[in-house]
Amino acid sequence: MKPVDNLKGVNELTNGKKVLGVVTAAGLLAASLSACGSSDNNNNKNASGSEPASSAPASSAAASQSSGEKVTITFQNIYPDSSDPKYQMLHKIVSDYETAHPNVHIELDSLNTDQQKLKLKTQAASKEVPDITIVNPKAQMQPFVDADLFAPLNDMVQQNGLADTFQTGILDPYTFNGNLYALPDGNNIAILYYNKELFQQAGIANPPSTFEELIADVKTLKAKGITPLAIGEKDSWTGSFLFMNILLRTYGPGFLQDVTDGKTTFEDPAFLEAVQAFEDLVKAGAFQDGATSFDYNAGENLFKTGKSAMYFMGSWATGGIETSDVSKDANVGVFKFPTVNGKGDPNQYMLAPGSAFAVSKNSKHLTETLDFLNYFMLNYPKELFGLKGAVGLAQKVEGDFKAAGYSDMSITVMDLFTSVNGGDLSFDNTMNPATSQVHLSSIQNLFVKPDTDPSAVAKEHQQAYEDNKQ
Amino acid sequence: MKVLKVSNWTIAAFVLPCLIIYIGLVFVPIGVSAYTSLFQWNGIVPLGMAKYIGFDNYHRMFTGDSVFWPAVRRTFLLAGFSMLIQLPLALLVAILIGRYTRKANFLVSSYFLPVILSVVVIGQLWKTIYNPASQGGMINQILDKVGLHSWTHNWLTDPKVAIYAVIVVGLWQYLGYHLLIQFTGIQNIPADIYEAAKIDGADGFKADRYITLPMIVPIFKISFVLSFIGSLQSFDLIMVMTGGGPAHATDVVAMHMYNMSFLSQKYGYGSAVGTFLVAMCLIVTVLINFIFNRLEKRYS
Repeated sequence: MKPVDNLKGVNELTNGKKVLGVVTAAGLLAASLSACGSSDNNNNKNASGSEPASSAPASSAAASQSSGEKVTITFQNIYPDSSDPKYQMLHKIVSDYETAHPNVHIELDSLNTDQQKLKLKTQAASKEVPDITIVNPKAQMQPFVDADLFAPLNDMVQQNGLADTFQTGILDPYTFNGNLYALPDGNNIAILYYNKELFQQAGIANPPSTFEELIADVKTLKAKGITPLAIGEKDSWTGSFLFMNILLRTYGPGFLQDVTDGKTTFEDPAFLEAVQAFEDLVKAGAFQDGATSFDYNAGENLFKTGKSAMYFMGSWATGGIETSDVSKDANVGVFKFPTVNGKGDPNQYMLAPGSAFAVSKNSKHLTETLDFLNYFMLNYPKELFGLKGAVGLAQKVEGDFKAAGYSDMSITVMDLFTSVNGGDLSFDNTMNPATSQVHLSSIQNLFVKPDTDPSAVAKEHQQAYEDNKQ
Repeated sequence: MKVLKVSNWTIAAFVLPCLIIYIGLVFVPIGVSAYTSLFQWNGIVPLGMAKYIGFDNYHRMFTGDSVFWPAVRRTFLLAGFSMLIQLPLALLVAILIGRYTRKANFLVSSYFLPVILSVVVIGQLWKTIYNPASQGGMINQILDKVGLHSWTHNWLTDPKVAIYAVIVVGLWQYLGYHLLIQFTGIQNIPADIYEAAKIDGADGFKADRYITLPMIVPIFKISFVLSFIGSLQSFDLIMVMTGGGPAHATDVVAMHMYNMSFLSQKYGYGSAVGTFLVAMCLIVTVLINFIFNRLEKRYS
């Protein structure tokens, strides 16, 4: 349907024989997507030596300051939204640092999360990783670590007491073979937000504490013409996140780890039970019509504009919900994910260690980059606290949230953090990308075909896992 | 061909820069892509560390991939709809516009308008149109109003109809493009032929049958090839509207290639799908040319 915008090709076609031009133009999409990896690994060794301007990459930050050598650090980040406190924090810290170090220029490359993930992958294939970039924990950053792209941060994190600002254990998902490779920007848990006014309209007094109550409430809300649960399932991780929380209840923590260790398989009864429960939820009409065509933002907007009664998401959504219309007059409450069939501990959460800052091993200005990142992370919680963006950080935050004007909802969310008694990471943070993709589309399928036999779902998972384990 | 008073070397020198860029940006990547398709490679580690697996990727693609063949089928479905519905419709409209309007340019430009709109805009627009009635979807609301509630669908999320819903948008968007090509083709047919035919008693649709259709074959071929290759490559519209979902129900070959390369991080496998796409384009284009050359010979 979409014609090739190639007039040269048209002329060639009229000549009858020279079809190759158009065909190759057609293949260009194919080629350009796959060709990103074409550059060989020679750059690997040349990266630090080939540039005459950076003749002394190993000189200390202090030395380069006094010598006044111009240094540009590229900082790829995922804070492009100027209304987001993190955007303001980023620009504030960067300009403070540039003022204190006039020879250093920080170049910001701000992208949306998905774009950044894609860009980093193509950059990694050609060994052109920015000085500072964003990675996700565990399985998602594993391939980059295997390709030896990042500089260890073990020494840097000890400087100026940076290590002590992080919560206990939060650096583990970013540590491989004893080397720390990235510093997280947050630490979140999955919770349910609910709209108190819509609950009242449907005559529901309290948020559900068991899955059976949740299903009953869904039906009550549905009968009143209210969308019970909003979700942005076009971005299929959202449904997976919810499903994994059900699995966390039916199995307990560590299911995927146990699969990897060979202690169980996807055909475990707890997995089947979780699929069944999830299907029941879909069949009860929990999600908005056409949920699989809503992307993350569109799904969240249903809740933010008061069109749905509940919303399941990581606590990172708190800031955005707090500033939206729906949370006027303390209208939004939060509750823990309920038990399923009487199983599970509500104090076990889906844990979401945040996106994290990693430093390129081949950075031309490694010393300066490490020095900047150290400064950045030390100031990160302080700046965000002032901007009311300090809910769900990976670092300890000093200060009185109530006095600083944080809402009751934010404070409730932070109280939930203190109740955390373990939990699990999301599927794609635990399993390899190929298996994760099969899982994501398998769960997405349940939204449109909730009658699928749970054992078929289990088989599909098991097959994908066996096909793709290394 | 010795009209130009320049040596072949001079010609070569002037053609060379373009040729090098063309080869470097088109043929080399295709070659590299075909080469990487022989590896089990995640696209991140250096290719030297990847495992050479010969034609295993192709073997898996053809025999062990439950998403691949349905994606191929959908791709051809797209091409089929485009060639069997969109192109004849464009030709019909082009003929009618040419005959019944004095200042056709305005109409042609209007039809062309969707082509210059960004695919993202078009995708978002039609997503809103296809939405469920509860979220303001136009089609479903109209169906509800006229009492055809049983015809309402979740157009983009029902696996059975989603692909057709996307196809309709694609047909709508590029109708104007093919209309423009074919309208121009018709305008270039000399008017005296029609006048001569009129004297012989061939008028209206009879003239179209015996004059317009045969004479427009070369132009129609361009439309045909462009629409076919465009269909094989279709990616952006589907990405915006459904993302290939729900659960691969709207995946086409290019989507599958993207998913495999970047989401599943099977770069080698994605390259294999890409190489297949290039080969398919090549074969079909040669085939179309062969058929049309036969047609042209018959009518000339």
